[in-house]
Amino acid sequence: MEIGHHISQRYNQELEEIRTHVLKMGALVESQAENAVKALLERDGKLAKKVASSDYMVNRMEVEIDEECTQVLARRQPAASDLRLIIAVIKVITDLERIGDEAEKIGRYSRKLAKKPPITGMHATLSHLGELVLGMLHQALDAFARMDTEQALSVITGSNNINDEFDDLSRLLITYMMEDPHNIKQALRVIWCARALERIGDHSRNICEYVIFLVRGKDIRHTDLQEILDEIPDDAD
Amino acid sequence: MTATRDRIEATLRKRYRRERLFRFFGLVSLGISFLFLLILLFTIFRTGLPAFQQTWIKIDVDLDPAVLGVDRHASQDELFGANYAKAIKVSLRKIFPDAKGRKKKRGLKNLVSNSAPWQLRDAVMKHPDLIGTTHAFWFLAKDEVDVFMKGRIDRNLPESDRRLKDFQLAWIDKLLAEGRLEKRFNTTLFTAGDSREPEQAGVAGAIMGSFFTMLVTLLLSFPIGVAAAAYLEEFAPQNNRWVDFIEVNINNLAAVPSIIFGLLGLAVFINFFGVPRSTPLVGGLVLTLMTLPTIIIASRAAIKSVPPSIKQAAIGLGASPVQTLFHHTLPLAMPGILTGTIIGMAQALGETAPLLMIGMVAFVVDIPHGILDPATVMPVQVYLWSDSPERAFVERTSAAIIILLGFLVVMNSAAILLRRRFERKW
Amino acid sequence: MTDVLPTMPGLPTGETVVDDTPPMTETREEFDVEIKGTVGAPFVDDPKMSARHSNVFYGEKQAIFDVSLDIGRNEIIAMIGPSGCGKSTFLRTLNRMNDTIPICRVEGEHCLDGEDIYAPDQDPVLLRARVGMVFQKPNPFPKSIYDNVAYGPRLHGLARTRAELDEIVEKSLVRAGLFNEVKDDLHKPGTGLSGGQQQRLCIARAIAVDPEVILMDEPTSALDPIATATIEELMDELKSRYTIAVVTHSMQQAARVSQRTAYFHMGKLVEVNPTNQVFTTPQHQLTENYITGRFG
Repeated sequence: MEIGHHISQRYNQELEEIRTHVLKMGALVESQAENAVKALLERDGKLAKKVASSDYMVNRMEVEIDEECTQVLARRQPAASDLRLIIAVIKVITDLERIGDEAEKIGRYSRKLAKKPPITGMHATLSHLGELVLGMLHQALDAFARMDTEQALSVITGSNNINDEFDDLSRLLITYMMEDPHNIKQALRVIWCARALERIGDHSRNICEYVIFLVRGKDIRHTDLQEILDEIPDDAD
Repeated sequence: MTATRDRIEATLRKRYRRERLFRFFGLVSLGISFLFLLILLFTIFRTGLPAFQQTWIKIDVDLDPAVLGVDRHASQDELFGANYAKAIKVSLRKIFPDAKGRKKKRGLKNLVSNSAPWQLRDAVMKHPDLIGTTHAFWFLAKDEVDVFMKGRIDRNLPESDRRLKDFQLAWIDKLLAEGRLEKRFNTTLFTAGDSREPEQAGVAGAIMGSFFTMLVTLLLSFPIGVAAAAYLEEFAPQNNRWVDFIEVNINNLAAVPSIIFGLLGLAVFINFFGVPRSTPLVGGLVLTLMTLPTIIIASRAAIKSVPPSIKQAAIGLGASPVQTLFHHTLPLAMPGILTGTIIGMAQALGETAPLLMIGMVAFVVDIPHGILDPATVMPVQVYLWSDSPERAFVERTSAAIIILLGFLVVMNSAAILLRRRFERKW
Repeated sequence: MTDVLPTMPGLPTGETVVDDTPPMTETREEFDVEIKGTVGAPFVDDPKMSARHSNVFYGEKQAIFDVSLDIGRNEIIAMIGPSGCGKSTFLRTLNRMNDTIPICRVEGEHCLDGEDIYAPDQDPVLLRARVGMVFQKPNPFPKSIYDNVAYGPRLHGLARTRAELDEIVEKSLVRAGLFNEVKDDLHKPGTGLSGGQQQRLCIARAIAVDPEVILMDEPTSALDPIATATIEELMDELKSRYTIAVVTHSMQQAARVSQRTAYFHMGKLVEVNPTNQVFTTPQHQLTENYITGRFG
């Protein structure tokens, strides 16, 4: 699976450019997500503000890449792997843009959370969730960059951990809220953030699914994990 | 960029000069060929046109039964044997009583064509009642008189250098004064066969001979040539040594001097197969040999130029190869085939050399009525007349050439019309 | 891959060869692009035409190597591949058009409804009436539109009366979608039509003998996009009545009109799969290279 070797050099360049732009967008989104988590955990109001106000860059990149893909579709009529690449890119950037939105959301809540005293006992779990999600996002982008189905598959397999973490955190927060109704507002903000992190995890999983679609030509969305593993057994060796 | 431009500009003038020069040369060549054509036509027409007129002499013949030796109740056989020559002689003497002595008497007789007695005989046999009366008849003038009438004999020349003597000139003047000499359109030229006497000679025999010869040539060479071409193009195995050999030989045959075909015809058709010599049949056979390569080569080119897509379409619909050939290939190639055939036939029509070898150069007076009658053809007739000593044959030679050219023009026009018809239909 | 017949001994089947395809994660250079056999699903149940181990030679040169392929009933199968890959040659073996080339030799088994079309008692004329052909360049006969369409029926004596012939001609022109455009000009020359109309006339001419299969050899390569679209639409309509095999240089055309696509490469049949699969996820690297415009 690779982009080059077209007879048309220009075509190679166009596809390579799109890929580079997606990777750049991925890097931007990743740093947004990292900053958001950092601002949330370290209660850094300034960083949180920066994250919340930087989403426009992600949106702009999405529009640009969309346009490039439209051009390739219109002018090159891509087929097979090229077609899958363009489709995958269009879908990946949508998910990236959503991740950007979630990071922005975390940034907005972090600013408000930073103004109030912290909720005790939350930090460790939240930090773990953040690490998991950021790691997953990183791996997903890495799998996309290297078109590595194996890694993509492992990300998909590992995504269940996030749900477990999120459930743990929810339980903790519910206890917290039951202890003192005054905490409800703060606790809800934290839960929104955790929810956003969980969503980032879901989007990362989507990206991995696109990687598998891109490389293997198999659409594995809305498929049971076990089925996916049954379908793509040889790739692991 | 500008350097290239300058360099190109530098060569431009030279290029244009060359172009103008080339066009100029083309025009000059065209002019020269046109000039030669004009000269040729002018000469031929100037010499030949007078031959389309013929001088006639009016003589009041006294059809005296005593002179003729028969009376009006005689049978047709008796009428046939009557002495018409004497009647004419007597009547002439009556007009010119001063004709005394053998020289003058012969000179007097030589004013009238020696066909005059037969002319008179025919008239009398038709109307035996004329016997015993005096009747004015128009007779063909002797060729010398005719030539003189057309201004080709200079009366200022010394008498010894002329065919007409002084006394004959005086008689001619007298005849002219009495209105007894008249130039009429020369129908004899078109209705009579060859003759030793120019005034009685015509090309009808040669035209019929040419017609029958061409008929034989066309009927043989067209189907054979087209069939051979079609086979070679469509059915013959490719890259076969024998086919290649045949192809090379056909191409070479087109370049073989025509007299060789004559020798071949003599050896094969006349000596071996015993085809009667001097006939349009053997002439046609020989000319067929000569025309075949032309027709085959032209037909092959025409067949080859039929787009293969048409043939494929027919085969794809389930037509057999022969059906494809007859439904599509040949009709589409027909204009080209016809052109080749007409060119070949025109060549054959103008061909003399091979016919000399097979006896078609014989002196044939009778007009042929079939392909087995002895005959001669137009170009051979031209050749024969051009060889004759009589002054009057000079103009008749040119006249024959004009008639031959006329036939060629008609043939070519027919070809063009035929092609147009075919091309429009398809 | 669901249509694969039970494995036949000695025949390439979808399943066995799929395993030969290396994992996609490896880089291209490591791909084994050697053609070991046909991948995908060359066989269907109850085929209209079928070829088994087809080998075609032009003199010493072999043009087709061991091609086995089925053409299903009422389907459009597209044959694609680079120039000289043998797709046209293979198409022409299906109605024995190659018979007209003296040096051409055909081996293998070629069947129409299970009958061997190269059997000694099989008449090529009858075969070509059953398996019609439409060519790359519109090639109407230089005759009237009517005579063009009537040529085949006249040839095979399909019409006993003038009225019957009229009916066949009209029906064919209607089916070829040309009747309304030419109904007043039936006796004008067919060569006077536009390129697209000429090609539809050729299709009308082909279907006038009521064939069972229509072979089309790059039917739109000489036409503009509008005319091409008309022909493609027509092919889609004809599909319900005829079986169509089309050779095309335009991959988009193959993608648009066909249900199955066969990819030929250097005389070999590389891949046969449902069209929607070939153009999104081709199974063989050579197919991929060809349809994405890569060198290989």
